[in-house]
Amino acid sequence: MIGRWLSLIAVRAALRATGRVLRIAIIAALIIAAAPASVVAAIGAVLAWLRGWPPARLYRAALWCLPMVAVWLAATAIASRSASVAAGTPYHAWLSLWHGTHPASAADIAAIAPLAIPVGLAAGGLAWAYRIRSMRTGTAGLSPDAAVSFDLRQWRHQARSARARIAAPGAIPLTSRNGSLVAGAVIRSVNHPGGPIASIPYSRMRSHQVVIGTTGTGKTTLLLRLWAGFMATALRRHAAGQGRLPLLVVLDCKGGADARRIADRARRAMRLAGARSTAIWPDEASLSLWALPPAQLTTTLVDLIEHGTGAAAFYADVMEAVVALAVEAPGGPPASAADFLARLDPGWLTTAYSSGEHEAELALIRSAARQAGDIALRFRTLLRRLGGGLDGPGGFGDADAWYCILEGTAEISVAEAQARAIVDILASYATAGSRDREILLAVDEFSAVSRRLPVWQLYERARSLGLAVQVSAQSWEGLAAGDDERYRIAATADGGIWLLRTPHPEPVAALAGSRKITETTRHLTGRTPVWDHRGTSRVTLDPVVDPALIRTLDVGQAAYIFRGGVTYVQVKRLVTAPAAVSPATAVAPPTPPAPLAEPTSAKPAIPAKPATASRQLPDASSLLDEAFGAEPAP
Amino acid sequence: MRVSPAQGAAERQPGRDAAGLLFAAEMYGLQLDHLAAVLGVGEARARSVAARWRGQRHAESARLGPGGPWTWVTRAGLATCGLPYTAGPPALGRLAHIRAVTAVRLALEAAPGYAAGGGYWRSERRLRARMGGRVGLRQHIPDGEVHWPDGTAVPWAGECWAIEAELTPKTTSRTLAIMRELLTRTGDYGCPAAEIVAAGPPRHARVIYLCAPAARRTVAKARESLGSSGARIEIRLLPPGAAMPAPTRHKAARERSAAALPPAATPPLHRGAAPPAATPPLHRGAAPSAATPPFHRGAAP
Repeated sequence: MIGRWLSLIAVRAALRATGRVLRIAIIAALIIAAAPASVVAAIGAVLAWLRGWPPARLYRAALWCLPMVAVWLAATAIASRSASVAAGTPYHAWLSLWHGTHPASAADIAAIAPLAIPVGLAAGGLAWAYRIRSMRTGTAGLSPDAAVSFDLRQWRHQARSARARIAAPGAIPLTSRNGSLVAGAVIRSVNHPGGPIASIPYSRMRSHQVVIGTTGTGKTTLLLRLWAGFMATALRRHAAGQGRLPLLVVLDCKGGADARRIADRARRAMRLAGARSTAIWPDEASLSLWALPPAQLTTTLVDLIEHGTGAAAFYADVMEAVVALAVEAPGGPPASAADFLARLDPGWLTTAYSSGEHEAELALIRSAARQAGDIALRFRTLLRRLGGGLDGPGGFGDADAWYCILEGTAEISVAEAQARAIVDILASYATAGSRDREILLAVDEFSAVSRRLPVWQLYERARSLGLAVQVSAQSWEGLAAGDDERYRIAATADGGIWLLRTPHPEPVAALAGSRKITETTRHLTGRTPVWDHRGTSRVTLDPVVDPALIRTLDVGQAAYIFRGGVTYVQVKRLVTAPAAVSPATAVAPPTPPAPLAEPTSAKPAIPAKPATASRQLPDASSLLDEAFGAEPAP
Repeated sequence: MRVSPAQGAAERQPGRDAAGLLFAAEMYGLQLDHLAAVLGVGEARARSVAARWRGQRHAESARLGPGGPWTWVTRAGLATCGLPYTAGPPALGRLAHIRAVTAVRLALEAAPGYAAGGGYWRSERRLRARMGGRVGLRQHIPDGEVHWPDGTAVPWAGECWAIEAELTPKTTSRTLAIMRELLTRTGDYGCPAAEIVAAGPPRHARVIYLCAPAARRTVAKARESLGSSGARIEIRLLPPGAAMPAPTRHKAARERSAAALPPAATPPLHRGAAPPAATPPLHRGAAPSAATPPFHRGAAP
């Protein structure tokens, strides 16, 4: 009995082995028989493995070869004047390859190539897809860590290919043909359509976005590219009559020399994108706080001053009343800081409201006369610290892009007040008859200056005004003050989230959600960590964004999270035009604020390039006088 | 065979004729009085020359706006001149500006210092052609450049000037932005990026603003805002022939206008007391010599 059972086991094993050998032999025979196609398939699969291509790329290549097949068949049909001969040509070409000379002649290979290439590419794509799927589900690989090794190796291959792609001249344009913004080359995508170029539609730039990345990860490069893409696309749309003129406003809330270097890069990027002028505030341009509507001006001025609660609320009320009286005086709102400070005087206010129709205001002035001096002192101090950058002249309509530098690191309270004022001016510009601009407000490290204007409030306000807000921070914690606020900002980023290397990506990664995958468990054979052929599979949920991968992102790599999918991008650095200003100007520290009595002098002039400034130009007035007459008197 | 007076003149002075055609091609188009000034002939003769160009299909003429008819070079004419420009009549919205720039060029080239310095006018059309389709939507191209070759006797030898004709006032900030761009630009228009040196000397040693009276104040204010860089900006008034003639409806009114404004109808080529016939013609290439380069050089410097 035992002998029979053993013989049965042996027969079964022999049959299995025979079947396996037979199967291998059949597959090998098929591969050899289809040698031209199988060679192409092998080359395609190896290339895809080396370059980290998705199988779809091989399929697309096969599809692109179809016209070649059609032309080949058509040419054969025309030459032989018979459709049946043309239909049999592939078979005859294959036969002649095998029955011809050994080794096969070039003519035989050329004859079968039009058919072998597309078929081989498609077969290679199928084989590569099968390999990826089996590694992903854990059904392939010899050792337990094979899937992990395969994934890491593929990431390296994909990143290397993406780096090569962005290094190729002209491979990554600023905008695509269909008007999308191109950020760089795709490394890998999950739940997003694949493709070699990472592009986002322009509409995403008209929605809120969040960018998170620590220093030195390429955040500025990414932001510059997005801003330039926004500007170029919007200008193109405007020229085609499809949109309004763009306006980019950047609030750099860190300040310092770095901010000025970035401002210079931004100016060059904007010029590359077609923007005519980029204003750098407050170094080279100024805004006018006094252009705000009187009611808004009163609110803004009162909010700029810190005032407490409780007993101090009385003082705040008095201050608001005095400011309102000064701003809404019958003669019109103040035109400058000096004008406003001059009005914070009981004598001036009494004269202004002494027409006989303002008895209530006069009574208010009398009761607030004792505090007017203190209020004037506080505003004098505040406006002196704010500098001339908000004292005009100028407005957001004067340039296509504004780069506002707030000294959030060195002078937090001043930067807070400046941020509040600039946002109010921008809001006023966006609402007061200036809806002819498509505005993108980019704020970097805004949480450093957001004590008086929380970011989420800015978000909501911008949404109501039709502005798109792009918030960038070095970390999840830097996004806002509290977790609620952070989640509110990140969850409402309709335009997507850009995640660069950051030590704590879990909260953002969780926002991308998870996807269904098949997880396979297999038995190990013996003591060596090699798989057996037995195991079970089950469907499980896997996070779309791998936080571990985010932590290991290299410089210039970013994950773009949008609607439950992620695209890992190798960002292409903008090759900008030469510096519009000399390096000395670009890194120059801000000029000290000018005295309030001379507001116009607060706007410093751009110094000339050293080469020209140091050289005295020869007098050419003789020629100009001959041709056009003398210079007209002012 | 009977030869018309214009043909006779052209045969006598073929260089002048070619120079006129090139001038018209570079400036988008010319109005009749300016064409006459370029050719150094009267308006009647200039009309004949334009008619002959039309006959040769080198140019087209039409009355596009107030004043005399405009003449512009056709595609065949541009091909004959070897200029790679897109053919077409001058844009109606730019007629006044084109006329003003032409008047500026004529006035500058008529000055003795221009010939002494061997100046070369590089037109806006040439600059735009160099840029190809890469001109930014709001990027500013000057109305012309004047290149002064090295080695001449004038003090400004070796410089490149940007020419700006301002007919109507822009905002100060816009004017300021244009001035800044012109003063800080380092590379040539349309040159490869590799040839641009970021920290190199500025391309335009100075910017010459020719303003209508209405625009002068804004330009002066913008120049003041530039600080020390403003020293590289020269402001002058547009020459008298720069303005478009006022539209007249009746022949009698046109005649009255022509009688009342003879100097304005003629560009100020002949500044001074000498009569027009005695003044040297604009196209110095008519009598080329080693000392005087031809009016139109074959290639841009």
